Amino acid sequence: MKILGRKTSINVRKVLWLAAELGLDYEHEVWGRPDRDPNVAEFLALNPNAFVPVLIDGDFVLWESHAIMRYLVEREGRGPVPADIEARALMNQWLDWQGSDLSPSATYAVMARVRKIAGWDDPERIKQSLAGWTRHMNILENTLADGRPFIIGDGFTLADISIGLQVYRWTMIDGDVPEMPNSLAYLGRLLQRPAAAPWMMPATP
Amino acid sequence: MSEPIVLWGRESSANTQKVLWCLLELGIPFERRDVGGKFGGLDRPEFLAMNPNRRIPVIQDGSLTLWESHACVRYLAAKYGAGTIWPVDLAERAIVDQWTDWVATDYQNGWLDLFWAFVRTPPSKRDAARVADALNWTHRTLKVLDARLAESPYVGGPAFTYADIVSGISLFRLATMGIELPPVPNIDAWHQRLRQRAPFRQAVEINYDELIGREVS
Ligand SMILES: N[C@@H](CCC(=O)N[C@@H](CS)C(=O)NCC(=O)O)C(=O)O
Ligand SMILES: N[C@@H](CCC(=O)N[C@@H](CS)C(=O)NCC(=O)O)C(=O)O
Repeated sequence: MKILGRKTSINVRKVLWLAAELGLDYEHEVWGRPDRDPNVAEFLALNPNAFVPVLIDGDFVLWESHAIMRYLVEREGRGPVPADIEARALMNQWLDWQGSDLSPSATYAVMARVRKIAGWDDPERIKQSLAGWTRHMNILENTLADGRPFIIGDGFTLADISIGLQVYRWTMIDGDVPEMPNSLAYLGRLLQRPAAAPWMMPATP
Repeated sequence: MSEPIVLWGRESSANTQKVLWCLLELGIPFERRDVGGKFGGLDRPEFLAMNPNRRIPVIQDGSLTLWESHACVRYLAAKYGAGTIWPVDLAERAIVDQWTDWVATDYQNGWLDLFWAFVRTPPSKRDAARVADALNWTHRTLKVLDARLAESPYVGGPAFTYADIVSGISLFRLATMGIELPPVPNIDAWHQRLRQRAPFRQAVEINYDELIGREVS
């Protein structure tokens, strides 16, 4: 099995963290700009969107980080996906929320204030992105206020991987942001997992 | 008998149309409640208790309250559509799942943004750069989808699945919003296949006059 993608990508780290949770054997191939441009025929044949991560499992090729995570757990027949259909639905709800709400709102600020990539310096867009990211963090903060250890309740699920990585990025913002004590305590719980810690390091925010 | 499923959301909402279409395909009893847009109601405490993001759709099925249109569609398909719109085989379903996520994280950011920038924004306030960006995004993702549909009749593979639902709701608006699109013959053929399904016509071919020139919902 091969996992393609650079470690600086949050979507790649979701899959790498899960692979560590499951104790999978895999080869890692670095792809993605600036390390290795995916806009080449060899990569586009795997994923026409030129995005990482991509999973290659024998003849089977899959992209989209959340689809890859769900596939790996079901393939192994074990891992952080609840068996109960309603709990699974709630896990998927929070996965979708990370992918379609939380993460897009944060993108500009991540480039400007976390990864500090040249060219991402429009003050108006930084402000807008930080405002959107803060609004979503407040929803997380309020959800965790009832004392639940993980996002859907007592059990650790795939949704905690995706949201946890995003909360880690929040803690790496260079600048003043509102305090989010529940979210930080939640991140602390996640960081205690041996499989988690390597994917939340200052070198790969 | 248990209570019927409740779907919260106005039928002119693109994300609500996914869940509506899915329920109609599955043929299960449900009630739809109008909220959002001209109906309002999303700031009411009862609604915010269901979805703190103040958005539609939301479904209630027994003790479960769920938001995010794709999570709703996946749940309904898994519970009521295993073997039909929800493939049982893991690898087949993973591909359906992949395209479903692609719609949420890529495809929809093009065409829905174009709909906002071009249809919902009054002409006097239109931002040409935003329209151009959304149009580029739409073209790029339509080409990916068209190439996919050159290799299989449906988005997820050989048969109709929930991936067709989340992507297919775009077709009526793309065809009617008055913007020239690149030639996409495979998408056109797929559109004709979907039009043969009564649930598509019923859930998706919904007049959206109430949204034209209305930036605020
Ligand atoms: N929805 C996709 C998004 C993938 C994505 O946006 N990947 C980015 C990195 S986070 C990428 O490939 N960028 C281009 C590059 O690295 O060259 C997923 O979750 O897998
Ligand atoms: N990611 C969410 C997006 C939901 C969304 O944006 N809903 C829109 C309608 S399509 C909404 O609630 N708008 C406010 C309104 O209708 O008043 C989902 O897929 O359910």
